[in-house]
Amino acid sequence: MDLISVLATVILITTIGTMVVGVGAYAAFKLRDKRKPGSNRSDETMDVGGPLEPVFLTRYVPGSAAEQQPDPEPEPVPDER
Amino acid sequence: MEIRRVGRYAWRYAWAALAVGGVVMLLAWSYDAVQESQGSFIALLQNVVLAGITYYLLFFLVLLIVRFGMLILYSFMDHLESLYKERGKEKVFYREDSSLPMVSLIVPAYNEGPVIQAAMRSLLALDYPNYEIIVVDDGSTDDTYEKAMVVAGETTTLEVRVITKRNGGKADALNTGIALARGEFVLNMDGDTKLSPNTLRVCIRHFENSKVGAVAGNVKVLNRENILTRIQALEYVEGLAMARKAQSFGRVVNIIPGPLGMFRKSVLQQVGGYDRDTFAEDCDLTLKLLMRGWHIEYEPTAIAWVETPSSLLDLLQQRYRWTRGILQATNKHSRALWQPRKAGINCYILWYMLFEGVMWPFSNLLGNLFFAFVGLQYGLATLLFYWWMQLTLLDVVAAAYCVVIEEEEPALIFYAIMFRIFYINIIDVSKVFATIDEWRGQAMTWGKLEREGKL
Repeated sequence: MDLISVLATVILITTIGTMVVGVGAYAAFKLRDKRKPGSNRSDETMDVGGPLEPVFLTRYVPGSAAEQQPDPEPEPVPDER
Repeated sequence: MEIRRVGRYAWRYAWAALAVGGVVMLLAWSYDAVQESQGSFIALLQNVVLAGITYYLLFFLVLLIVRFGMLILYSFMDHLESLYKERGKEKVFYREDSSLPMVSLIVPAYNEGPVIQAAMRSLLALDYPNYEIIVVDDGSTDDTYEKAMVVAGETTTLEVRVITKRNGGKADALNTGIALARGEFVLNMDGDTKLSPNTLRVCIRHFENSKVGAVAGNVKVLNRENILTRIQALEYVEGLAMARKAQSFGRVVNIIPGPLGMFRKSVLQQVGGYDRDTFAEDCDLTLKLLMRGWHIEYEPTAIAWVETPSSLLDLLQQRYRWTRGILQATNKHSRALWQPRKAGINCYILWYMLFEGVMWPFSNLLGNLFFAFVGLQYGLATLLFYWWMQLTLLDVVAAAYCVVIEEEEPALIFYAIMFRIFYINIIDVSKVFATIDEWRGQAMTWGKLEREGKL
């Protein structure tokens, strides 16, 4: 048996072995994820006050002004030709 | 909403049915030829499938060589460009300390008790005259807040604010920090990250160019304590840093890493901050910036040291989330995939992400299964060896190049072989399952990793 054949056999066994380990490890990780106590744990105030929105990043429009003013039409672009 | 969701799944399954139908049609079309030669259907199926996979793998190999070649070429071009800039540094980048803009450092922290103090102390030692630190405790159930308060009290020269809020996820914590930031620039990082002292000075230079909206930092592994973490150290250098460096040459870095990214605050406000609908909020935000035409550069000398998973299951958990998060972010911006003229280079960036996230793991696994089958069935194990050898050669060349460019430990080159023998097969299995789960729309949780306090 020449060197290439020996190395090929080693790689073949390793490849099959690591793929089996990969599937096994994935199954173990999913199982651990399901069984982990408190995997979805968060603080008790999480659901207080409804859904969260990044309020600080949205532009503030006063309620009355928003009702009165329709959406501004886009300015017509002047023809420069 | 429900109808739209059902419609989306129907569309996906229709594509899958079309693909299966196409193969069946091909077999049915070829059946006459088999009948003429009195062959069996199984033999035909095997020949068609094996021939198809062979051509596909050849095509994939060509793509892979092109990918490695392009990344090395462009990252080297970027390296040359930075050296060229370095020579003209005094003329272009000279600034008085008093004129440097204020930077707000935002540290979101959820159950980071074991590491938060080390992370904060590294921030107190940054070499920059004008910055503030905002730690956002995202409703931790451990002592993160108390520990952060202790470090905040250790300085009188810097402004350190520690705020606590109800738990809303990392994106929400970062948005809260951005809203409270007083700086013109914002640096977002993780609660388990140490920054190199020069980080702010080297990142802020990039913003001299008004088209640059953000700068990505260089993430390195701190806890190089076993084979798994050392291979990850190589992966961060070869897989992540080299790609970012190459993309930086085109100003289109596709993921600003969570551990270190600096932004113009106005740009974050323009895009509405972080969205909470993906598990890769950093990737999603980066794509939002790119779609709006902002340039994103990479700074290799701004280093974020992070603690990586040191056990296999933790690592799989992390990669599972990354894979699904990136797919979610790509899916959000998928319109650009089909609009090469309108989206420009962003179209190619998205295709590149799909190649890395989906095609590569699937093809790697397919190649291994194919060559293992051929080896066992026909005794041609040498084919697998040559296939493995080609991929390993690509990895070793890329690793050697990265070690030189990044001035990393030369021993990491050796781990390129370990990477190909053991590591990547296991990771790719997890990535393939993650892709299938995402395609099926399976529910998932963030999967917070337990910190070991190695910072």
